[in-house]
Amino acid sequence: MTPSPGFSAQTLSVLAALCDQPSQWQHGYALAKQTGLKSGTLYPILIRLADRGLVEACWEDEPQPGRPRRHLYRLTAAGLASATGALASAARPKATKAARTRAVRGAVARAVP
Amino acid sequence: MNRLNRVAVAVARALAWLLPAGRRDWVAAVWAESQEVPPGLARLAWRAGGAWVLAREALMPRRLGRGAVFAAAAGAAAWAAWPQPTVGHAAVSQFHVIATVLLLAGLPLLARRFFGPATPSRAGRFLRVFSCAAILALMPAFAIVEAFAELTPKQPAYQRIACPFQGCGAVPGNSTGGPPWAGEIPLILMTIAYLGVILFLTSQRSQVTRGTLAIGAGTGLLFSVVMYAVAPLGLTNDATDPWLPGSKADPLVALAWILLFGGPAAAAALAARRGRAPGGAALPRNVRMGQGIAAGVLANGTAALFVSALGTGTTALMLRSAWLLRWLNHGQHLTAIAAYRYENNAGGGAAAYLFMLIWFPVIGLFMSALGAACTPLGRPAPRELTPVPATPGNQ
Repeated sequence: MTPSPGFSAQTLSVLAALCDQPSQWQHGYALAKQTGLKSGTLYPILIRLADRGLVEACWEDEPQPGRPRRHLYRLTAAGLASATGALASAARPKATKAARTRAVRGAVARAVP
Repeated sequence: MNRLNRVAVAVARALAWLLPAGRRDWVAAVWAESQEVPPGLARLAWRAGGAWVLAREALMPRRLGRGAVFAAAAGAAAWAAWPQPTVGHAAVSQFHVIATVLLLAGLPLLARRFFGPATPSRAGRFLRVFSCAAILALMPAFAIVEAFAELTPKQPAYQRIACPFQGCGAVPGNSTGGPPWAGEIPLILMTIAYLGVILFLTSQRSQVTRGTLAIGAGTGLLFSVVMYAVAPLGLTNDATDPWLPGSKADPLVALAWILLFGGPAAAAALAARRGRAPGGAALPRNVRMGQGIAAGVLANGTAALFVSALGTGTTALMLRSAWLLRWLNHGQHLTAIAAYRYENNAGGGAAAYLFMLIWFPVIGLFMSALGAACTPLGRPAPRELTPVPATPGNQ
């Protein structure tokens, strides 16, 4: 799957959090703490990613005593490829801009003795 | 706090039933996760956010929802505007209703094909939704006012008021209805022009910036409110501005004149000066001029559309509701014939809104071109570059 150019900054932050440990299942609250997103923002993103087959979700096998079972999330193979591509392309323009700024500054420095 | 939590639980459980089976797991997920959140405000916020998500998911088929809302509104408007059998030009009026609904349903789809999707800005969405609503509201209001204005009264005393010179054209008790075909075609063309311009300016391909849309919509909204306060029932002397003292030099009237000519010029100057690309880069001079003209045309166009819908709607409501007629003339004793004269003047005065619909955008175009041309749009100042110290690498 090709990286989608339609990822918002919040979606990218969720993808980045899931990419940190792609093989590990993660909880919603842990993701919220990692990304700084509220539940009202985080869950619609997870729902959309799951709908697109980029994230898989399952229920905890062995819940802690006295606690309900928790929902767990991790990237699918397609999700990992998509997230890697999207995060790389999100970082690329910054690198290009920085390189351009360095080049312009270098040119100015050469022109101004 | 516990009570609020219980309310949030109840809301979430109730909403869960509204969701499709595949979505209910997410309800349980948000809920189960809330046990991990520290109790207190944080947990409440988590659950409130979860309830918000669920509400959104429950209303997820938004397009379906929008389509249903449009169908309901268009159906109600068409039902109200459908001509009575006693009304003349019935075929023309029926064509007007069908054509307006088809244009409102079809032009946005065509616009998406040719101009691209709608701009994501709030001002753009506001303009699209309220313009469509205004055109839809105008349809039954215009039909009611036309049917009344062209009605031949039964009583001779009323006929002397309604048809003072050449007499009325229909059988007493009947109405000649709306305009004939020769009048209908320009009306439909005007609807196409309004919808087309608004759909284009609020599309992504038009390159009209969010700031320009906000300036145009804001100025238009202000002007429409002032204009409605000045002329809630057309522009006749007898029926208009019931809350104004009646002086031509009323400050509100003066403000309306200022906004008619100065509003688009000021909006154009502001939009042209503030013209920035999404990345913050300054736009070329001709593009900024275009932004200014778009803001000015939007200002007067939306004002004309909104005030026409409000004014014609108020007139139609007054013709159907004795309560509104009494409220507009509170403190006065109206005889039946005086009330009829008042209604007749208001019905005739509503034609002024057609004048506004045609000429306000034209005035907006000229004044905004003038405003944008008179605005100093110097070249954007080049960014200052700090020279980096010379190093062996860049010598």
